[in-house]
Amino acid sequence: MRSIILTLLLSTLLFGYQQGDTISQNIQDKLSIKEDKIYIIDFFASWCASCEKEIPYISKVHQQVDSRQVEIIGVDVDKNIENAKAFQKELKERNALTFRVVNDPENNIIKAFKPIGMPALFYVKDKKVVDAVFGAVDNIDEVIMADLKRLQK
Amino acid sequence: MIKATLVMLSVLLFGGCSIKDVQPWEKETLAKDTMKNAAGNTLMTKFENHIYFSKEGSKGGGGVAGGGCGCN
Repeated sequence: MRSIILTLLLSTLLFGYQQGDTISQNIQDKLSIKEDKIYIIDFFASWCASCEKEIPYISKVHQQVDSRQVEIIGVDVDKNIENAKAFQKELKERNALTFRVVNDPENNIIKAFKPIGMPALFYVKDKKVVDAVFGAVDNIDEVIMADLKRLQK
Repeated sequence: MIKATLVMLSVLLFGGCSIKDVQPWEKETLAKDTMKNAAGNTLMTKFENHIYFSKEGSKGGGGVAGGGCGCN
């Protein structure tokens, strides 16, 4: 039993959150995850061209879904906070970023998730990681809506 | 004692040789234009590719998939 717990702990440290893993209280606090609804966590950065391309589509989803059931949280992993703020400001000015963003200049949040590529989307339901999408995906809004339909069943 | 010291020394010496993978969220510098082949200069890229293709006797496969941000 002890070895199983140790293996699980080590796998989380090495690979980040896997499907079915519960998000730690520390990360829940950082992301303000309080309710038992579906959270979509979008990791992006100003230097990531594919992330910038996807953000307007994710904002479109944000405007379509019921905020009581689904919430989208952006995590900007830019190490330079000024770059992050300028990037977000520019996106907001053209109405391309409508969901709330948590800045992660120390990369503490993303290191807990350890995505294999960026942009990275994690679906969190009942404080557990239930699915993830990595890399640039065409029509990500349609992909998210289909995933949400499946997760809300 | 000598053995332990040797082990410690080798760990300290060779530890620096280990290469850590660049994580997807650490690719800010790699995503810069200046990190592109010939720093994004189209003419220089064509020239460098011409030399490469002539030397290798084959063409293509010189690009990298994704946008330098760890995408697929």
